[in-house]
Amino acid sequence: MSLLEFRGVARRFPVRHGLLDRLARRDRVWLHAVRGVDLSVARGEILGIVGESGCGKSTLARIGVGLQPANAGSVRFHGAALDGPDPAGRIQMVFQDPYSSLDPRMTIGAQLDEVIARYRAGLGRAGRRALVAQMLDEVGLPQEVAAKFPHALSGGQRQRVSIARALCSGPEVLLADEPVSALDASVQAQIINLLRRLNRDKGLTIVFISHDMNVVRYLCDRVAVMYLGEIVELDDSARLFAAPRHPYTRALIEAVPDLHAPREAVAAIHGEIPDPFAVVEGCRFAPRCPLAEAGCARPQALRPLPPSGAVRCDKAC
Amino acid sequence: MSLLSIRNLRTEFSGPAGIVRAVDGVSLDVAPGEIFGIVGESGCGKSATCRSILRLFGGAPARVAGGQILLDGVGDLAAMPERALAQVRGREVAFIFQDPLTALNPTMRIGRQIAEVILRHRKVSRAEARQAALGLLRDVHVTSPERRLDAYPHELSGGLRQRVVIAMALALRPRLIIADEPTTALDVTVQDQILRLLRERCDSTGTAIILITHDLGVVSQVCDRMAVMYAGRIVETGAVREVLDHPSHPYTRALLAALPGQASRGRDLVPIEGSPPGLIAPPPGCRFAPRCRLAREDCGSGPAPGLLPRPGTAPGHLDACILSEVPDVAS
Ligand SMILES: Nc1ncnc2c1ncn2[C@@H]1O[C@H](COP(=O)(O)OP(=O)(O)OP(=O)(O)O)[C@@H](O)[C@H]1O
Ligand SMILES: Nc1ncnc2c1ncn2[C@@H]1O[C@H](COP(=O)(O)OP(=O)(O)O)[C@@H](O)[C@H]1O
Ligand code: SF4
Ligand code: SF4
Ligand SMILES: [Mg+2]
Ligand SMILES: [Mg+2]
Repeated sequence: MSLLEFRGVARRFPVRHGLLDRLARRDRVWLHAVRGVDLSVARGEILGIVGESGCGKSTLARIGVGLQPANAGSVRFHGAALDGPDPAGRIQMVFQDPYSSLDPRMTIGAQLDEVIARYRAGLGRAGRRALVAQMLDEVGLPQEVAAKFPHALSGGQRQRVSIARALCSGPEVLLADEPVSALDASVQAQIINLLRRLNRDKGLTIVFISHDMNVVRYLCDRVAVMYLGEIVELDDSARLFAAPRHPYTRALIEAVPDLHAPREAVAAIHGEIPDPFAVVEGCRFAPRCPLAEAGCARPQALRPLPPSGAVRCDKAC
Repeated sequence: MSLLSIRNLRTEFSGPAGIVRAVDGVSLDVAPGEIFGIVGESGCGKSATCRSILRLFGGAPARVAGGQILLDGVGDLAAMPERALAQVRGREVAFIFQDPLTALNPTMRIGRQIAEVILRHRKVSRAEARQAALGLLRDVHVTSPERRLDAYPHELSGGLRQRVVIAMALALRPRLIIADEPTTALDVTVQDQILRLLRERCDSTGTAIILITHDLGVVSQVCDRMAVMYAGRIVETGAVREVLDHPSHPYTRALLAALPGQASRGRDLVPIEGSPPGLIAPPPGCRFAPRCRLAREDCGSGPAPGLLPRPGTAPGHLDACILSEVPDVAS
């Protein structure tokens, strides 16, 4: 059974509509960040979400933790509709930027203590202090970090602190939005090992948003590929990387820089970066798709495709 | 001929616990039209090196304590008074910051912000500056640029924000662009386009770029030459293909080995054990010695080893390991 489920989730943002626009009777313009996403996250899995910047990954994650409402559709947790953040803190989020997600004026210990006090009201001071120590230990940070302020920590340490903070409520699901994108290779390896360990040893379910295809291939059990607010391919990680079926997934995988390839060998993705304002009737990838043809002007549905997974392209087989 | 030539740069921050020697004897040369990559672990001094060039320390208690920063046709930036340096910023040398939010004014529409940069340095009308801003947004592949002109920074995704920052850096056609992790917030396809765009600029206008990144894939994709930094010093430098295909310093090798590309699923990745040393009192000798699997007795004493060529490696490929032969150990 799925632990966290997105059902037809959509989110749009109004675009500035000035007086002149109104005088000229121009219609309100909407930016569709997420357009009807169906996605179910199974207990204990690491689900990857990949896609271009602006394709709606973060918006989807914010809706998933209840930081932002959906305009349509619903999020279900343990089968029940979720309306705002889970009061028990069973769904938590880790952000890309460990710089701005921590409070610069509070020590790390105080920040963790605050979160623990919120979710475990029964715990006394000593109990909270013990839990702070346990959380630091969990993410591999020395105890003296508790007395420090965020600015005194390295990028990797700060990201460990954000993970520790997310773990304070004892979550079942962790939505991690680009948690290693700002980190260098060695620290990235440490954080990925940490996430893997939390998943394996504690059964923590992880939704891992990333644009680094190498990391996703290595870490995730399943992968959802998003394009302009929609899922265009969903499959087991191994299958998806071995034989991508949507033309966009293929382009993404081909764009992964190879450390040892000469510069010229990198394949370019065709066409313009997608425009979330553009009204495209048919396949949204058509303007950039090398395989586009007349039939692609029909709207494409995400359909299951044997032996596993689903693809939003009528021509994929 | 070098556009920029940094000689023995030393940069210090004064902190409560003492002087942090963030950059301690860095030398590098950048030619016109070249993209020079700087990689290394967080805190190794990449940003401090580049911020020293324009003395952009954002109010931090930092100073260039020694060395020269020679910009072709301009002189030694390290010796230049602040007022003269202000003329170099943006016009000759532009800076793209790691965090796009610090570079953007949250209360100003982005079209206006780009136009302001142009108006500050060029005699053009507001309307012309706005047109130029539109063109710059188009150059960095912002879609529907007419609509985005009136957006505030918080309304843009991280990738879009960084493209706006890049557009601002390109506005005055500088000879050198210093880009501190410019594509860290972007996904591969957008990153790919931004890097191509920067590459095009270099090839067509002779603009040079110093690109700081922790992503070796990015270096491989666009840079001509590169330097690997560790604890305030360069430990390996050379043509990108040489350094990535035939790394000779144990630290470079360990960094490459930590990447998931080389690991099989289900096995832990291999980070470098321990963490980089503090820079108030770095260890004597080779600073990597406390974490190096190949360290010998004599690695940990004396002055820090300098960059030297190795017999059999390509010209310009230098490293700072004292071993005459660096064995290939699985880290
Ligand atoms: N404002 C400051 N006060 C004191 N020390 C500082 C300050 N800024 C940087 N440092 C120190 O200078 C050294 C180099 O920092 P720098 O920011 O250049 O590293 P970096 O390689 O760019 O790392 P990252 O990838 O995290 O940005 C570090 O030891 C850091 O702690
Ligand atoms: N508060 C907001 N107001 C207006 N537009 C927004 C807002 N937040 C996000 N957007 C837009 O929604 C789209 C998706 O954004 P986001 O989910 O942050 O992308 P990403 O995939 O990079 O995480 C982008 O075009 C972005 O500019
Ligand atoms: S439907 Fe057509 S345009 Fe869309 S991805 Fe498939 S082939 Fe390409
Ligand atoms: S000099 Fe010694 S400690 Fe330093 S990298 Fe070489 S072998 Fe390792
Ligand atoms: Mg995002
Ligand atoms: Mg930096």
